[in-house]
Amino acid sequence: MRALEPWVVEPLQTFLAESSARLTLLMTSSGQVVAQHGFSRSLDVMTAAALGAGIVASTEEIARLLGASRFGGVVHHGMHQSCMLSGFTTPRGRWIGLVVFGPETSVGIVQLFFDQMIEQLVSAAPREHVPAPMLAENFESELNASLKALFGR
Amino acid sequence: MTEDIRSLTARLAEEPSSLAFLELAEALRRRGQLDAACKVARGGVSRYPGLADAHDLHAHILGDLGDLAGAFDAWTAALQLDPMRAGALKGIAFLYYRAGDIVAALDHLQRAAQADPDDPSIQVALERVRSSVRAQGSPETNGGAAVTPPTLPAASPFEGIEGGEEGYLLVDGGGLRLGGALRSPSGEETGDRVAAQLAGISREAARATRILGLGAWHSISIESPDGQLYLAAPTADTVLLTSRDRAIPAARVGLLAERASRAARAWLEGLG
Amino acid sequence: MKTSGDVLDRVTRVPGVRGALVVAATDGLVVAEHLMDGVDGRAAAALAASLVGRLARTAAEAGLRHPAFVHLRADAGSVLVAPGKDDLVLVAVVGPEANMGLARLEMLDAAGRLG
Repeated sequence: MRALEPWVVEPLQTFLAESSARLTLLMTSSGQVVAQHGFSRSLDVMTAAALGAGIVASTEEIARLLGASRFGGVVHHGMHQSCMLSGFTTPRGRWIGLVVFGPETSVGIVQLFFDQMIEQLVSAAPREHVPAPMLAENFESELNASLKALFGR
Repeated sequence: MTEDIRSLTARLAEEPSSLAFLELAEALRRRGQLDAACKVARGGVSRYPGLADAHDLHAHILGDLGDLAGAFDAWTAALQLDPMRAGALKGIAFLYYRAGDIVAALDHLQRAAQADPDDPSIQVALERVRSSVRAQGSPETNGGAAVTPPTLPAASPFEGIEGGEEGYLLVDGGGLRLGGALRSPSGEETGDRVAAQLAGISREAARATRILGLGAWHSISIESPDGQLYLAAPTADTVLLTSRDRAIPAARVGLLAERASRAARAWLEGLG
Repeated sequence: MKTSGDVLDRVTRVPGVRGALVVAATDGLVVAEHLMDGVDGRAAAALAASLVGRLARTAAEAGLRHPAFVHLRADAGSVLVAPGKDDLVLVAVVGPEANMGLARLEMLDAAGRLG
């Protein structure tokens, strides 16, 4: 498990221990990775973060068009593993969680402890610092810096 | 010192509470600086005793150093935190294989395969262990005993209890049998397989009753058309399973289980 | 065949039962619920289904068929689970004062009507 900021570690660690999730990615709504567990290649994280952010943005837009509030989350069931994508609000802005889990756990358990993790993240988030919006010209270097911290390479 | 180790060391020095120790210890391990790697990993384990990654990495390094008993303990600790951790299950399976306990090696590899069905190395290891079983014609024997799993007194924890050894199973938090024996209705010995399924059950029951506001759990009874099982926790780290025929009244099975649980607790305390 | 609502009504009429749910066993999600205040149905569904799934695997390894009834006892009450058909399980959260014998019989009877 790797996290860019230390206050994310404990809630994510608890979630991983309780949910038995195989892979977890926490990112901002723009796809910047905040923490990850289980990914071994930075390329996979980049791709998953970009796709996850895109899917959540699309479903939230569909909800808006339908006049609904945001959808709670999206779960894709697979034969061997499933995937949950869910957006949530933190004092640091809108974040997205991508969780891949297998038959050793269930969507009910994953959702239960994911919600618990959100509560813990919200209460652990330092209030004093609000990150500046990411500028397009900084995106590449910000991303590379994040990946270096998350993978140490 | 290479650049990556230098920068990781600097990062850890700047922020001792960070998780950079994981990368630093792994980088040192890969470079063969095992004593330094062990020191870093041990520091990380003492700072983050609840982090399964730290115990897992510590176990790998101890294994590389040849301290197989230490590696066994570290992987057991990782499994207590994360019972389906494929790396730790693989590590313990390897140690059992080295020790000649093919049955336990197979059990752990099967659990590893369940935890991570996409890891081809587990399938290769499973095939290798199965072929040694076939080659020897028996899962009982294999050469060197490089690791000694925890030793227990010869006496059964269930001596003098109604039913004796049979129908009771005392299991540690990692899903390993500490005592007792279990047979299926068809007469097949099932103790180790059942024990493996019970890894972490106490934690899961405790979690359920805590979250539902019911306090600490005492017992679980399971009724099947073929028999009944009763689970109790003699200590925080162990689970006792009692198995009886459906003909015996459920309340009586509970009394038998409580008596066996007390006996198991006394036996465990006797181990020091 | 009864609806989930009928089944839950029967179980929750037993004194001491604080709530009952019909749960999708594989997913651990609530299908129907009848709960008193303070009982977290979503948590009960996920946790009970997970525990019973593990206990069913334990029973299978012991050579036993799927459990018909599970009783988790704790300091301040119990969780009762009775698997029904079609991947549904009936879950009840009961207080320590409940008549467990009656609750068990109602659960077994009600679970047989699920699906």
